[in-house]
Amino acid sequence: MKLKMTLLIAALTSMTAQAEINISGFASVNGGKVLSGTGAPHYGVEPSFLADYPIVSTYTEDFSFSPESLIGLQVTGDLGDGLSVTGQIVARGANDFDAEFEWAYISYDLNDNWTLQAGKKRLPLFYYSDFYDVGYAYVWMRPPADNYTWQIFNYEGVNLLYNGSVGDWGLSANIYTGREDDTENKLLSDFFFRAPTREIWEDILGGVVNLSHDWLEIRLTHMRYTNKRFINGEPEQWNGKFERDGKFYGLAVNADFGNLFVLSELNRLELDADFDTYMISVGYRFGEITPYIMYSDYEQSGDGDVEKHDTTAVGVRWNFHPSAAFKVQYDRVKDDSFDYAVAGDSKAITFGVDVVF
Amino acid sequence: MKNLIYIAFMLLCAQSYAGVAVIVHPSNSSSFDDSVINRIFTGKEKSFSNGSKAIPIGQDAGNPVTEEFNTKVLNKSSAQLKAYWSKLIFTGKGTPPKEAANDAEVIQSVSTNPDTIGFISSGSVTGDVKVIKEF
Repeated sequence: MKLKMTLLIAALTSMTAQAEINISGFASVNGGKVLSGTGAPHYGVEPSFLADYPIVSTYTEDFSFSPESLIGLQVTGDLGDGLSVTGQIVARGANDFDAEFEWAYISYDLNDNWTLQAGKKRLPLFYYSDFYDVGYAYVWMRPPADNYTWQIFNYEGVNLLYNGSVGDWGLSANIYTGREDDTENKLLSDFFFRAPTREIWEDILGGVVNLSHDWLEIRLTHMRYTNKRFINGEPEQWNGKFERDGKFYGLAVNADFGNLFVLSELNRLELDADFDTYMISVGYRFGEITPYIMYSDYEQSGDGDVEKHDTTAVGVRWNFHPSAAFKVQYDRVKDDSFDYAVAGDSKAITFGVDVVF
Repeated sequence: MKNLIYIAFMLLCAQSYAGVAVIVHPSNSSSFDDSVINRIFTGKEKSFSNGSKAIPIGQDAGNPVTEEFNTKVLNKSSAQLKAYWSKLIFTGKGTPPKEAANDAEVIQSVSTNPDTIGFISSGSVTGDVKVIKEF
C-alpha cells in the first residue's frame, strides 16, 4: 500500500517533463455545536451530533471547527492519447489534518465513450458518495448522515466507465470490482466497538447506471461484497462463519425545474438484517440564495430494539462569490434505539464556507 | 463628452441585446437542436450526428457572452455550472470544455478544426464559421 503510493508520487513527479499537469482543489471550513441532546449515557456518549459516520465527525456542546473542515488537492497528469494519472490528497480536521491519498488511479480512454480506471477510488455506493468531500458540489452542509453510514468508503480495484447518450438521454454507467482492507477502521474502532477493528470488504462487484434528461435524473446501483472483521485481532463470527455477504441496492431520483428542485434517495443493504435508508430534500433557488429542507431515515429490519434514527434538517446556501458558497444548517436527530443507540437525540447548528479552485 | 457617453450607452445596449450564436465549422452538416447543444457542452454527448468527435469550446467565465450562454442554453447559473463540473472533475468522470479568451479566439479554433463547436456574441459572427443556432 505504502509502496503503491510512493510509486504514484514518483510517477506524478517524474512525468512533469512530458505531461500536462493540472492542479485543482476544494476546501470546506465548517463549524458548529450541539444545542441540546441526550447523548447515549449507557455507552458513555455525551450529547453529540454525528455529522458523518465513517469519518466520525462529531459535534458536541463545545463549539468546534474540527469535525468537518477539510482541504483537498487533486493533481492530474495528462500523458496524452487518453492516458492520465490522478491523485487526490485530503486533510481532515477530524483526523488532525493528516493528509492522506483518498484517490490514486490511472485512467485510460479506450475511445470517446469508454474509460478504464485502476487504483484507489471512492466506493460509489450512494449518489453523493464519490464527491462527498466536495461541499461546493451540493446544496446542504453534507449528504444526510443517516444514509451515508457505511464504514467502508474507498476501494482498490478496477473501474470501467461509460459516458455517452441514448437518444435525448444522457447515459453514464460504470462497473467496478476490487477490495478494501481497512486495518483500523475509524467508525468501528473509535465509535462502535471501542477496540481496534480491522474491516475487510472483498470480492466487491458493483454497477451504476445514471440517466439524465432535461429536468430529470435517475441513478440505479447494485453492489455485492464479502465482509470479514477482526476485533482486537480476533476474527468476528456471524452465525458460526468467519464471513458474511452483503448486497446493496440504491435508487436516486432528482428533479430540477429551474428554481425548484427535489432530491431523493432510497437504499437497502442486505446483510444479517435489512438496513433501509432514504432521504428526500426540497429546495428553491432565489438567485444565489437557496433555502432547503431535508428528511432522512435509517431503519434496521426486525422486531424490538433495532437501530433506527432519522434527521430533519433546514438550511440555506448562499453563493456569495463565483467560487465559494456559505451554508448554514439546523439538524434535529431522533435516535429511537437503546441497545443500538448511536449518539442519542440531538439538535445542532452547523455552518461553513465551501470553495473550489 | 456627451457623445462619448451616448456611444458608451449604445454599446452597452448593443451588448445586452446581442444574443448568442452557436457556431461550427462550415463543413459540419450535422443536425442540432437545443438538447444536443446542451449535452455537448455538459459532457454528455461526445460526437456530432455526422459521427465525428465533438469538442466544445467555452469562453472565459468573466465574459458576458458566457453567462448569457449558460443561462439561455444550459439553463444554469454560473454557480450551478461550477458545482456540476466540480462533481465530475473530483470523481474522474469528466473535464469542462477548454476556455477561449474571447469571440475571436473561438472563431479561430472553430474555423480551423471541423470537430469543434463554440459560442460567440451574434455581432462577432464572420463568414469563416457556420451559425447553427441563435439564442
